[in-house]
Amino acid sequence: MESKETDKMLKTFFSERKQEIPDNGFTLRVMRKLPEQADRSWIVWIFAAIGMAISMYFGLNSGLVQHTFRLLENIPIYYLLASIFSFPLVGIAGYFFTQNKKYELF
Amino acid sequence: MSNTDDILWVTQLTLLGNKSAFDKLTCKYQSPIRRFFLNLTVGDAPLSDDLAQETFIKAYLNINSFKGLSGFSTWLYRIAYNVYYDSVRAQKQYADINEYEIDNLHHTQNEFSAEKMDIYKALNLLRKEEQTAVLLFYMEDKTHKEIAKIMDCPLGTVKTYILKGKERLSVYLTKQGYGK
Repeated sequence: MESKETDKMLKTFFSERKQEIPDNGFTLRVMRKLPEQADRSWIVWIFAAIGMAISMYFGLNSGLVQHTFRLLENIPIYYLLASIFSFPLVGIAGYFFTQNKKYELF
Repeated sequence: MSNTDDILWVTQLTLLGNKSAFDKLTCKYQSPIRRFFLNLTVGDAPLSDDLAQETFIKAYLNINSFKGLSGFSTWLYRIAYNVYYDSVRAQKQYADINEYEIDNLHHTQNEFSAEKMDIYKALNLLRKEEQTAVLLFYMEDKTHKEIAKIMDCPLGTVKTYILKGKERLSVYLTKQGYGK
């Protein structure tokens, strides 16, 4: 038999017998057997604090923060209120959009 | 789910110690790893589950040694391969027991359809290395290069294993009436 034909035959033979094995609690059993590890989520907060400090330092030194506040002072109060109140609406819309579910109004 | 997800989950686990990231990795790879063992152990489901469990625990404990040079899947199969061969070596002390009898015992303990039986019969014709290479190539769709990494042997050796396995399987399957 030709090599290509044999390859095709074996591919078919194995793919027909390729089964997806249901989890049936396997993952849970593995997770239960894993040893405990120290929670290192504090690393995120450390980096966030360092990042914040650096950006504040450069922001204040370059006058960017002061400039931004001055800009905000010149914006009409109605614009500011509208943007503040629309923020939760945008957030909720974004949440529904990312959840990828169908929501019916009625 | 792509390889990018794997890298993301591994990073979450190594940097933040986020255990739930490993839960996602286990969930994603449990089926291919258990199937790989199930075929290598000719259908011994309890043994293959034990070996798969050991593989995931070893992967968790050695996650820091994953450098990302090969895919996470290849790295995991490499561990699975080592776990399997360690178990084969450990079983050699019981070599005086007839292997055929053990196989028959497993076959009677588990429920096998005729379709599953023929794949185990076919795989039984091959040497262990050939079984591994053939399974990784034809069933798990790994490339020659990936198999060489998993089995930690030269590319040429992998090609020889697959070629020899292919020849034997071809003769057996043709006799059984496949490919007509």
